[in-house]
Amino acid sequence: MSTPLLSVQNLDVAFQIEGSEVPIIRDLSFEVSYNEVLGIVGESGCGKSMTALALMGLVPNPPGRITNGSILFEGRDLAKVSEPQMQSIRGNEISMVFQEPMTSLNPVYTVGEQIAETARAHFNIGRAEAKDRAVEMLKLVGIPSPERRFDDYPHQMSGGMRQRVMIAISLICEPKLLIADEPTTALDVTVQAQIFDLFKELQEKIKTSIILITHDIGVVAEMTDRVMVMYAGRKIEEGPVADFIQNPRHPYTKGLISCIPTLQENPPEIPVPLFEIPGVVPSASELSRPGCAFAPRCSQKMDRCANLFPQTVELATGRIVSCWLEMEENA
Amino acid sequence: MNEMSPILEVTNLKVHFPVSGGGTVHAVDDVSFSIKKGVAFGLVGESGSGKTTTALGCVKLVDSIAGQIKLEGNDITNLQGEALRQARRNMQIVFQDPYASLNPRERVGSIVKRPLNLMNIGTTEEREKRVAELFETVGLRPEQRDLFPHQFSGGQRQRIGIARALATQPKLIVCDEPVSALDVAIQAQILNLLVRLKKEFDLTYLFISHDLAVVQHICDEIAVMYLGQIVERGSKREIFNNPRHPYTKALISAVPSAGSIGKPKTDRITLQGDPPSPISPPDGCRFASRCPYAQSACRVKMPSLKTVGGSHTVACLRVDQDGNFI
Repeated sequence: MSTPLLSVQNLDVAFQIEGSEVPIIRDLSFEVSYNEVLGIVGESGCGKSMTALALMGLVPNPPGRITNGSILFEGRDLAKVSEPQMQSIRGNEISMVFQEPMTSLNPVYTVGEQIAETARAHFNIGRAEAKDRAVEMLKLVGIPSPERRFDDYPHQMSGGMRQRVMIAISLICEPKLLIADEPTTALDVTVQAQIFDLFKELQEKIKTSIILITHDIGVVAEMTDRVMVMYAGRKIEEGPVADFIQNPRHPYTKGLISCIPTLQENPPEIPVPLFEIPGVVPSASELSRPGCAFAPRCSQKMDRCANLFPQTVELATGRIVSCWLEMEENA
Repeated sequence: MNEMSPILEVTNLKVHFPVSGGGTVHAVDDVSFSIKKGVAFGLVGESGSGKTTTALGCVKLVDSIAGQIKLEGNDITNLQGEALRQARRNMQIVFQDPYASLNPRERVGSIVKRPLNLMNIGTTEEREKRVAELFETVGLRPEQRDLFPHQFSGGQRQRIGIARALATQPKLIVCDEPVSALDVAIQAQILNLLVRLKKEFDLTYLFISHDLAVVQHICDEIAVMYLGQIVERGSKREIFNNPRHPYTKALISAVPSAGSIGKPKTDRITLQGDPPSPISPPDGCRFASRCPYAQSACRVKMPSLKTVGGSHTVACLRVDQDGNFI
């Protein structure tokens, strides 16, 4: 197997909360290959976005810091590089699309300036050339009459347009890795379809690998190659997308898939009750407790779940589950 | 009241807003529909299509410039002052954001009791009893009444919002994106609660959502809106098994599904561009500029809703009386 583009090993991120160090990400290991789309799913508060920030070197410090592990990006450990080095990687080689297109853009600069600024910060080019590249990028992300829209301010654009501008900014340096944190949650389905078509097209064109953070199982199915499920800062399941959807192993993954209403071709007259995962995700202060963090919400919990986090079981190459039930069955 | 008369009947509702520098936003234009007792009626469409404004118009939270709104056969279009306040007892709202819709400085028991106080329903003891009962109905413990909103999770807060909406036993409950601010696993809890309450108390919902799967799950009848107008209306089956309007088809086909692993649906209709501005909507069909089937006639003549069988109506020049595409 060739070396992956990104290899995260035993990553721990902790936050200082009220005097004690709380582990937000624990023992997280995963890889992203070249030209691959990895989906990260889980409820909010499971550490998905914090994982993304850790990769970007943007964990707010203080109160947060990477306490252990490595983030190998083409052999370099991003957990150890200096801030100036990280700045040249960020945007250039790894870039990120945030969830909220309105708050991620600066309202007092035109969208064109914001795209061109990124290009000038990373390449040694003048204003005129930066503008040309920005216009080109606006065209690539499907914004009509890009020369004219270059001078628009963010508020003059619709949500879908703004998200395209964000994507243009994140792709202008042709990054090797694009991290998209719920990039379409704030958008309508028709716009979402356009954005995903665009992702696919760009991936073909510039061979970018994508980490797609989402909670929409439909999006996962259509867009990703592999899926990693996170709960309370840990990876609890990982595998190819088909296995994830058709044969989920962890009770949390099963719940996550069956609690969401899906569009059916022939809907029943009377709604069939949806599966409910009882309770809520643990708060940060509950994260230091021993055992499996999902146990209080799990319908199949056993005594040992409360005391010990289950070891990781590799069912097949790249098919990973952390649950005592699996160990039971494989014993 | 006639047994068959609908709970809500809206005829040719128009809501326009002036914009600074002249011009008018045509937020809702000529919208008509009726909702029978015990029915969940869904309004779907993209943001800016006028779903929320239509609902706010129905419960008189924004003023309409034309049209008629009847609640249980009574015309409430021009009610004002105390008469309007009394009518509010029969129409309550569950809001989208459970963080913004509860007063952070008020105990949740008092929040739920407030409608009873305002409407002067029952004695003090009866109100207390009713609040306890409402808490149990929505799946909270009555002793949680003394807590403040910040002590609850998003899903629990939405339960409090629902309890408040139920307090006066309203005829109509408007649910404006009631689950879109909630986490995935919590959405299921609230949707199940709304379905159970509807069955238990024979509630009538005007349900707004941009999530087609949620609307399909909970609604009996559905109206699809585009740029301030209803373009298609029908039962759940009519809309989802046999969508006729090109916009409805595009909307349904745009939803990513778990069945299509690794590839987008082959029959997907991808819409290009954005909706036209509601400040100067086009004269003809408002969808024509993005419609893959538009002809020159579509850009001139505005289609009206016509029945294509059963309760199914469509506003498209290219769909004939029998619902066939011409």
